[in-house]
Amino acid sequence: MAKFPYGLTADDLLKMYRLILFGRRYGESVDRWYKAGRLPQLPYISMGQEAVGVGACYGLRADDWVLPSLRTNEAYWTRGVTVLEQFHGMMGNAHSITGGRETSNHAAYPDRGILVGTGLIASQIPVAVGAAIALKRKGKGDVIVCFFGDGGSNRGDFHEALNLASMLKAPVVFVCENNGYGFTAPASEVVTAKDVADRAMSYAMPGKTVDGQDVLAVYGAAQEAVKRARQGEGPTLLECKTHRYLPHCPSVEEERPPEVLHKMRQRDPLVILGDRLQREGLLSQATIQSMEQEIRQELEDSLEQAEHGPIPEPAEVFHNLYCEPTTAMGL
Amino acid sequence: MRVLAGNQILREALAQEMERDQRVWLLGEDIGVLGGIYKVTEGLLQRFGRDRVTDMPISESGFVGMAAGAAMLGLRPVVELMFADLFPVCMDQIVNTAAKTRFVTNGLLHVPMVIRTPTISNVTAYQSQTFEAWLAHVPGLKVVMPSKPQDLGGLLLASIRDPDPVIFLENRFVYDMMGEVPDVIEPIPLGQARICREGTDVTLVAWGANMVQMAEQVADQAAEDGVSVEVIDPRTLVPFDLRAIVQSVCKTGRLVVLHEAVRRCGFGAEIVASIADSEAFSKLRAPMIRVANPGVPVPFSRALHKYALPAAEDLMAAIYRVMKRVMPKAMPKTTVKQQVELVASRPSGYLRR
Repeated sequence: MAKFPYGLTADDLLKMYRLILFGRRYGESVDRWYKAGRLPQLPYISMGQEAVGVGACYGLRADDWVLPSLRTNEAYWTRGVTVLEQFHGMMGNAHSITGGRETSNHAAYPDRGILVGTGLIASQIPVAVGAAIALKRKGKGDVIVCFFGDGGSNRGDFHEALNLASMLKAPVVFVCENNGYGFTAPASEVVTAKDVADRAMSYAMPGKTVDGQDVLAVYGAAQEAVKRARQGEGPTLLECKTHRYLPHCPSVEEERPPEVLHKMRQRDPLVILGDRLQREGLLSQATIQSMEQEIRQELEDSLEQAEHGPIPEPAEVFHNLYCEPTTAMGL
Repeated sequence: MRVLAGNQILREALAQEMERDQRVWLLGEDIGVLGGIYKVTEGLLQRFGRDRVTDMPISESGFVGMAAGAAMLGLRPVVELMFADLFPVCMDQIVNTAAKTRFVTNGLLHVPMVIRTPTISNVTAYQSQTFEAWLAHVPGLKVVMPSKPQDLGGLLLASIRDPDPVIFLENRFVYDMMGEVPDVIEPIPLGQARICREGTDVTLVAWGANMVQMAEQVADQAAEDGVSVEVIDPRTLVPFDLRAIVQSVCKTGRLVVLHEAVRRCGFGAEIVASIADSEAFSKLRAPMIRVANPGVPVPFSRALHKYALPAAEDLMAAIYRVMKRVMPKAMPKTTVKQQVELVASRPSGYLRR
């Protein structure tokens, strides 16, 4: 029986593999279906970065929280959200968790510990610190993991939030998904720190850079930061170097040169974990085939079901704006 | 009943609610050791400790966003912004996070937080702005602007207990006004106007402690000339007690709105438009008039205040205009600046002008 790091079992690794595989097939599918006009919501596809969301969320407890960025689709899958739920969101259906009010990438699932981020890059970071303070008051050792990108690390809210978190010893793990580009702006040009993790030094917290393509590296570093947060030692900034295979979103032209795109695929999170599992004899071609089949079926069935999902009643727009009902004339 | 100054009343209300509800968390710049620049939170750090009264670094966007996140997971943050001109710094967190969370989560999360802040009124271009119209424009926010010291405590309690984000604007002159408070402060429901003076000829709607005081003084003076002015302080702009204004205008047939903020797109425009949409429109006997800042930054030099700040003589002129009467020559020359000096005879805080 092979030994795996961080106390993980073979079963854990297979689950992680399936989550990454699921993320990959989800990304490919929504890209295709959006372009074919079957999904109305512009998707922010995380292909290439799947290991970050999986690795950082996998070891969390049910009472912990995550605050995904625009692109952390894997946080949803790892926390147990189904693709049907998210497709309802992408359709704007009545059955979506937001009741058709927001897109799937700004969907909160409080019952699964997922908080909502706004559409404004990095604005969620101070919100996560506040949530961490509320968790700290409860005194049960719960933590929150907050995701953002390299671009977000240039926003004032990132810096203010890290300072506040350090000052208040907030139980939060800041996970920077550094995919090298903010929309089209290369991090090499617009992020002046060598590593985003270096920015932690200004805020007297540990900053660590890991290979975001290796889910076990992400998991190990995240668990270390989570442990620190649970013990009341405060926040950590964890930078995961990763790659975004597709443009910012499908409506944007690919600006990056083909050789760059080719090179980034040489370190693929699915291949890295898959090779390891195959070397250990834990993952047969048959297992992969069966996972692929299940995933394809779930994606297709869910899309079809969401396509026929009920749309919201127009008057629903007046509900849940305030605690009181509102009308067309306002509150 | 006790008679206390406005800032003491606010402090009493905060302390009372902090005793009752352990979730209440005060945060803001210099609210702990200093007790706030207007001493609203004086002594609360010593009484409740740093976990409940927390001094913040200069990070308004950061700590407003942080308060919103804490509110989502069950705390009741009460933020003090040092002064209202800081709203633009943290507007993203107010507009996009606090105001929208209940809506975008379909009610699964909500943001029970309060942002209290003084509106300083008449000092400089960067410390005198009143942004209630910006805030009232945002779906999801409630906007409270108490003007009478006796309303401060009850409206603050209602704001803290409200499940939605509430902006609580304290015109700084209210801190020095004396008002009666009961031994145990009771919440005053949001959305109920106060009729400050009953009258039959003109409806005068005003908010902000200095403006309401000026409105009352001008109403008293007009009464001596036989003009009966009904002064209404809406107390909250969202929710807004439109019915009280409509009923009054139906009775008087005349409306003057007084506010300190810029007239263009000010909340007065909303009130005038709402009256135009209502059954009161057909009762109007004169055009509706707004008396407000004409659309200039508030300058430092007092010599420049004459046209920048709404003055009692402008208000009186508006009342005579809607009455279609000629204003007697012996009417007041008092400006709002002089008016506020009357109430600021016991100035608290560090801005003593």
